[in-house]
Amino acid sequence: MSVSAIRTITRREITDTVTDWRILAPMFILAFILPLVLVSAANFAIRFIADNNTVPLLVPFVMLLVGFIPASFSLITALETFVGERERNSLEALLAMPISDNDLYLGKLTSALLPPLMSAFTAMGVFCVALWMGYPTLFERGLTAEFIAVIVLLITTKAVVMVASAVIISSHTTSVRAANLLASFVLLPTASVVQLEALLIIGRTARALTVLWIIVLLLTVVAIALIRTGMGAFNREEILSREHEQLNLRQIGRTIRTFFREYRPAGVAPDQYSGALFDLRRFYRRELPALLRDYRLPLAVALFGALVGLASGGYIGSTYRVRALDSYLANIGSPPRASVLLGLGIFGNNLRVALLSNLFSLVTFGTLAFLVPAVAFAQIGFVASSLSERGGSWLALGADSPLQFAIGYVLPHGIIELPTALLSAALGLRIGAALMSPPKGFTVGQNILWSIAQFAKVWLFVLLPLFLVAGLIEGLITPLIIQSLYR
Amino acid sequence: MIEAIQLHKAFGTFQAVREISLQIAAGEVVALLGPNGAGKTTTVRMLGAILRPTSGSARVAGYDIVDHAREVRNKVGLLTEFPGLYHRMRAIEYLMFFGALQGMAPAESERRSVQLLQQFGLWEARDKRLDSYSKGMKQKVALIRALIHDPPVLFLDEPTTAMDPHSARVVRDAIAELRAARRTILLTTHNLIEAETLADRIVVIRGGAIVAQGTRTQLSQQLLGDPIWELRLGQRSDSIAPLLADMVQIEAVGDDWVQYRCADARAINPQIIARVAERGDPIVALSELPRSLEDVYLSIMDEGVGSWELGANSSHANPYIERVGSQTSAADTSPHPTTPNTHSQEVQQ
Repeated sequence: MSVSAIRTITRREITDTVTDWRILAPMFILAFILPLVLVSAANFAIRFIADNNTVPLLVPFVMLLVGFIPASFSLITALETFVGERERNSLEALLAMPISDNDLYLGKLTSALLPPLMSAFTAMGVFCVALWMGYPTLFERGLTAEFIAVIVLLITTKAVVMVASAVIISSHTTSVRAANLLASFVLLPTASVVQLEALLIIGRTARALTVLWIIVLLLTVVAIALIRTGMGAFNREEILSREHEQLNLRQIGRTIRTFFREYRPAGVAPDQYSGALFDLRRFYRRELPALLRDYRLPLAVALFGALVGLASGGYIGSTYRVRALDSYLANIGSPPRASVLLGLGIFGNNLRVALLSNLFSLVTFGTLAFLVPAVAFAQIGFVASSLSERGGSWLALGADSPLQFAIGYVLPHGIIELPTALLSAALGLRIGAALMSPPKGFTVGQNILWSIAQFAKVWLFVLLPLFLVAGLIEGLITPLIIQSLYR
Repeated sequence: MIEAIQLHKAFGTFQAVREISLQIAAGEVVALLGPNGAGKTTTVRMLGAILRPTSGSARVAGYDIVDHAREVRNKVGLLTEFPGLYHRMRAIEYLMFFGALQGMAPAESERRSVQLLQQFGLWEARDKRLDSYSKGMKQKVALIRALIHDPPVLFLDEPTTAMDPHSARVVRDAIAELRAARRTILLTTHNLIEAETLADRIVVIRGGAIVAQGTRTQLSQQLLGDPIWELRLGQRSDSIAPLLADMVQIEAVGDDWVQYRCADARAINPQIIARVAERGDPIVALSELPRSLEDVYLSIMDEGVGSWELGANSSHANPYIERVGSQTSAADTSPHPTTPNTHSQEVQQ
């Protein structure tokens, strides 16, 4: 990585931005005028609301707003980065330079991020100083150092998320118009997060700050994932090839069929496959073990998610009382009547969850797939620790015994269902990661198709039968075991 | 300086460039001539290490375009089809930006920018923003951008496309200067005048494959046959054609003129003059009819000539012909595949 190249690109782009009055004027207004207007509105708000305790609650939210509006300006510059240059025919000259794809990408990312972020910091700074000078009591009651820190970090991480997403869009579209249309995929989730933050800030519950810190953490993870994805997916070849790109469903179908028919590790180009037809015997004997070996990392991540879920559920069960789950805990020992229909219902539900969470993994970077075993294990941990809180023993059987709960409610079908859910999550995680770093020899598209083909194959020939067996056990055998244990 | 071996590029199922093999010596100017969509730009992008070939290989200035892509980009100056300048910048800022990306020190980059701006007549406009430049000036700046790091190889992709005649002339003059400075240049164009006036050798590309290559004279000779000469007399003469028929191939005859094909004008024309003078007919003029590259080009495009390379060192029966590539056509089967071209200038009696 060449810092000098990144700096050169960043400097040029920033100079270009800050010498354009069409960008500079709104940025100036948002950085200096808006905060002052909002601070001067404080007096009006105090008189209008006529409640000295309510107005301070609004102060951090206003600061969030003051920072977010100029930060959201980053979308405009970021969406322009590659596709704008492409439309102005200046991109090819840049691609012809002896700099790496990563240098180019990071230079563009930094240059799109810095001006709006500086503008947001300035706006928040102006707001704080003006409020402190004009309404010192309101400043002291409304803002703490922790609130200021968390708001600054929320704005920073959100700006990075927006810019990283917009740069990905910009490098994958062929016109500014298309990029602007796709920007809603960035704006809508970001706006939802701002709404959640507003509720937490204005509500000012005891744990609001903790949740805000968690949001900062999550946004940081998403930002890193997006930057990684952008760097992984960005290359000169793809940008220039897009001129010839057309949606070729037949080609996509051919590629996915190739990946489905025989298993080769990711990175082996479709034309290097032998062309052998799918063979179920070969799949179970040779290909599935090879696939599981290659999926060690996603399997470990899914297992980690499950363990974190188990521990979190256990902690919540031992610390909080969740009223919504009271009725569930009260019904322990009273299982539904055993039937094939119940088993098929459970099977259908598991299958639906596995299918949807994995398919949506593509747009959530595997988060949904990761959440499935985490939530399932969290439920087990929660019930077990809640029972323990009631006085149940971990070592002896009894109505409130976590051990009895595990033996009755989890073990009979869980021995099949839980590993199956972990495997399903691993497949989903691999689909989610496909965008981020295509292995050598694969394009991003091929990597996505490969991971979907593996999921389809394993879903059909492994998950489906295992979920069926687990569902039937849960519908037919588990209720009987529960009945005999809780009699 | 440039060597491409069976360079091939496919975008999905679309074959943009088909197994192109090309050699360009140091100091040579080669025009890659072909219609829009022929694969010229893709070829240049591959040779400039911006696109990876699907198969085949190439070396530019001694570096492999895949294994040493960054070195290749450092040795190549690329003039893109459209100048694509950053319009808010001034010329010197713009050039120094690209100089920095080429790894040049600021002082060196500035010195070179100043030198090139002066050389190309843009020094007076150095303080103006690039959006105030004319088309020709913009293309000159783009050309300077390609030259800023003093590359040994230049790729000029459609340098005068969509330009008015004056701007095009300005750019052509600039390229002519580079040619005089013995740079290795690959010029892609669909402009025949450009290819004819600027290039030492012309490579005609169609459908992603090379269909003919050689010097303009070689291409004309090969595809249009021997040169046509016109003899004009001072008076009407009905017997001029029979008089010359045993010496040359008569193409057309008028009241006081005759046109004939002649491979070795130096030997034949004095004999013709002597024979006509001996008969007492006054000779007004004897001149070779000009044949444009357009005739050659249209001949290739219309008649679907196979893959032919024209070079003086060929060992084939026809000293100008050497077959290249794997394509075959009706013309390939004959050692002398040419017939006079339908677009050649034929004078009606």
